[in-house]
Amino acid sequence: MKRILFLSLLCSPLLAADPVEADFYKITTFATPKETAMEVGSIDLMPDGKLALGTRRGEIWIISGAGSNDASNVSYKLFASGLHEVLGIAYNPKDKNLYATTRYEITRLKDTDNDGRADVFENVNDSWGVSGDYHEYAIGSRFDQAGDLWVTLCLTGSFSSAVPFRGWAVRIKPDGTMVPTCSGIRSPGGIGFDADGEAYYCDNQGPWHGSCTLQHLVPGSFQGHPGGNIWYDLAPNMGPRPIDPLPEAFQGGKGRKNKREGGDPDRMVTERERIKQLVPPAVYLVHGKIGNSASAIICDLSAGKFGPFSKQLFVADQSHSNLSRVYLETVNGIKQGVVIPFRSGFASGIIGGRMDEEGRVFVGGSDRGWGARGGKPFCFEKCEWTGKTPFELHEMHAKPDGFEVTFTQPIDPASAGDVKSYSMREFTYAYREEYGGDEVSEVLPKITAAKVAADGKSVRLTISPLTKGHIHELHLDGVRSAEKLPLLHKVGYYTLNEIPAK
Amino acid sequence: MTRLLFAAFLAAASARAVEPAVFSVKTMTAQMKYDTAELLVQPGQPVKITFENGDDLPHNLVFCQPGTDTAAMALKQMEKPEEALKRNWLPDDPRIWAHSKMLNPHEKEVVSFSAPGKAGSYPYVCTFPGHALTMRGVLKVAVMGDTLHDLQFALYLGNWQKLPDFSKLKPHREGKIDDNLIQVKLDDYKNEFGVVFTGKLIAPKKGSYRFFLSSDDGARILIDGKEVVAYDGIHPAGDIKEQGLTLEEGEHAFRLEYFQGGGNIELYAAWKGADFQITPLSKWLHPNWQGGTKKQKEFDPIPLVVKDEAVIYRNFIQGAGNRGIGVGYPGGVNIAWSAESMNLALIWRGAFMDASRHWNSRGGGHEKPLGYDVLQPTGEVTPAFFVTDKPEAEWPKWDKAKRYEGFHWLGYSLDAKRSPTFRYTWQGAEIEESFTVEGNGNMAEGHAKLIRTLKVAGKLPANAWYRVGSGAFESKDGMFISKGPLSYRITVSDAQLAGQNLVIPAKTGTMTITYQWAQ
Repeated sequence: MKRILFLSLLCSPLLAADPVEADFYKITTFATPKETAMEVGSIDLMPDGKLALGTRRGEIWIISGAGSNDASNVSYKLFASGLHEVLGIAYNPKDKNLYATTRYEITRLKDTDNDGRADVFENVNDSWGVSGDYHEYAIGSRFDQAGDLWVTLCLTGSFSSAVPFRGWAVRIKPDGTMVPTCSGIRSPGGIGFDADGEAYYCDNQGPWHGSCTLQHLVPGSFQGHPGGNIWYDLAPNMGPRPIDPLPEAFQGGKGRKNKREGGDPDRMVTERERIKQLVPPAVYLVHGKIGNSASAIICDLSAGKFGPFSKQLFVADQSHSNLSRVYLETVNGIKQGVVIPFRSGFASGIIGGRMDEEGRVFVGGSDRGWGARGGKPFCFEKCEWTGKTPFELHEMHAKPDGFEVTFTQPIDPASAGDVKSYSMREFTYAYREEYGGDEVSEVLPKITAAKVAADGKSVRLTISPLTKGHIHELHLDGVRSAEKLPLLHKVGYYTLNEIPAK
Repeated sequence: MTRLLFAAFLAAASARAVEPAVFSVKTMTAQMKYDTAELLVQPGQPVKITFENGDDLPHNLVFCQPGTDTAAMALKQMEKPEEALKRNWLPDDPRIWAHSKMLNPHEKEVVSFSAPGKAGSYPYVCTFPGHALTMRGVLKVAVMGDTLHDLQFALYLGNWQKLPDFSKLKPHREGKIDDNLIQVKLDDYKNEFGVVFTGKLIAPKKGSYRFFLSSDDGARILIDGKEVVAYDGIHPAGDIKEQGLTLEEGEHAFRLEYFQGGGNIELYAAWKGADFQITPLSKWLHPNWQGGTKKQKEFDPIPLVVKDEAVIYRNFIQGAGNRGIGVGYPGGVNIAWSAESMNLALIWRGAFMDASRHWNSRGGGHEKPLGYDVLQPTGEVTPAFFVTDKPEAEWPKWDKAKRYEGFHWLGYSLDAKRSPTFRYTWQGAEIEESFTVEGNGNMAEGHAKLIRTLKVAGKLPANAWYRVGSGAFESKDGMFISKGPLSYRITVSDAQLAGQNLVIPAKTGTMTITYQWAQ
């Protein structure tokens, strides 16, 4: 017996199971009121540690105690009901009211008699159209630094826009006026801001989208799906209507499995040169690998309380019931970056999410309509850092001849400095009208050098060739930490919209 | 689901389109067979077949005229195989009237068509070489019988083990069933209740008829006051009970008594005559009934129960456009108000709304009111206010792609009982609108009334009119009685009939309009 114990102690660094996500980030599932299906569609923070939850069933719940270490301390109060699908909830610290983004309206909710239930429902703005089609979801943000609400408006179905501003992102100013802000939206799943206050949304695989994407909402830009561009006449502030991308799907009516002579003609990287308003996706959330149904965008502003990923973005997925992590940088004025798996195993499809100042990530959602891996029809959950730092790819920076990769912990110079510890694959998606698409135009580059930095926390990879516009899928299977541990997640997908000059 | 075509002509009041027959047909793996040998539809009925190829070979689904030798037709292609290959093995034969594509393994296609107008047996077959001998079936087109007329229900509350003597009980709620199909989805009660359905059944000629019944829990059918078939007690809807009898030509009193203890709620009734196939009289179909029109699966109802406070439901409500706001008031009266036209769109009695359509799957489509006696006093999504020097003129009609100019939606506030006051502006004037209920909308004799109060502040344009009703009205004793199929009365001061419009000169101040169902 003693001998066995001794042996196992001796061998533990080698024999111990590899670390798992739950060692570093734990998920707590809250019980929800029996009288409702808490299909969370949106979450915002309120004063005194309270949360506001908007649901797909049109309810708004105010939650207390969700930050407590004891999940049984959570309590729920129904603030409002009967709204048309609350996929955006925003607390306004100026007037202390909640604002709900619903199917066809931003509603300001007031509790004038202070009984904990809303009694005044004011239309803040209802300028966009609604045709009755199920697909026309309206997904709203919390308030940005200017006091605006952003709303992304799903198209009528996948291809077209039956009523004004379907397929657009709009801003609602504090005075209630609407400013058309970006065209080219297809099927948004979530909207959020980075640490600098820049707005992003997630679009979903479909026409003009080979994969789900994280996209930078640059005011005045065209985000890629031309279906809603018929409304430029109603948006003089946006300037002239962009020229249409090439409707590749009409060229011969071939199915996407059919081979085309000379390959697929249309690429985001070439269409960007023709269509000046077109902003490429900041990050492709690679279909089937990162997720299938991208939703909430959560920025870590907790200054370390959520672990080592300060200011990075976390993107949720309804179908995969997971969170992925995104590090972004700006090259030649364009946002781009890497997405890395982060945490799977949420109970249902995640739709809404928000991090509080203490670094607690509150998420919730439902599997309704598309199915979700989590298995439960709906959920409200919390994801927290356990205090242990995982060995992870931390940041990935594009360089003229490769990438610089940083890590959350010191690396083992021998393995990290060996080019055989890495492999890379480059690919893209056709930018075309047809639904979805394969990973195409594969390039298998050579990794010619892997140079570990003097501080032992980063490595400089030299790669030949880099392909502008391609997703660069980096595998780091052989890299070990100084403690000889493998990476918790051994892959990152970098979308190389621009190759830096230096 | 009115299954009989001629009943739709007979009963103009309840006329509505025959619902599509929805089927799923699959090819079986490595068996050279379809999984469905027979499909039963009505003449002219829209048919939607989801055809799925579960086999490892290509297959199609080809419908032919009665009497076609399908095997010979398929075989004939081998005389010119290159031409047939170009046609993807679809024979060039005038007897083919509907078909799918040639599906590759594990592909799927939805085939839609209208069933032939003529009754008969229409063969279907796979025309890929060598498949036609065993991969075949028959689409049977047959006339169905009449369904019930003037179907009414009375709901009773109680806990029973067997059917009670309903004649000694007082109903909790009564009303009529617009689609004339027996159904227990009328209310917000899930356990411990009973329902008595009464209506008329018209026998097309003197002869023998057969009645079918299954239920969970107990039920019985009475014709002209005499029990025909019974399935009493607490049980699941396992068996179908049946019994025949002779009926004289003409109208007969139909009565079905049903009670629910707990658990599942299911009720199936049907009849059959010498000249028509088994014809359901109920919305729900027993899985073993011999008909072939399978309904698509519906969702379990999620009724929104109105207790002592008003309940609001903003979603797509049939007849209230895309910005409809449903309000269920205590007292069994409900409305849908439109934040598109800033007008009352619908009024109905009984139960409020069923949210299951919107709270399942992706939530598509417009849901109709759950209750009954639905009134639409003016057209769908038309404003009440309008400037015209001819009040008999046609009021603006809804253009789904546009918004009504001059209107601005402000929102609503709730009073202590959660009843909303809607607010909007029109041409600069501010308007508030609220509703109260009198009587009991849960009872046909409950004298239910909806009282609409309008407060207009600010200046209105000249020649501004406010329309409270449209259609044909008769003015009597200070009331306006609608001459539409569903009679109701409007009481309002200063109203005048102008053509099809019942209008009031719009002015600043307070207006009260009362809507009441004729008893």
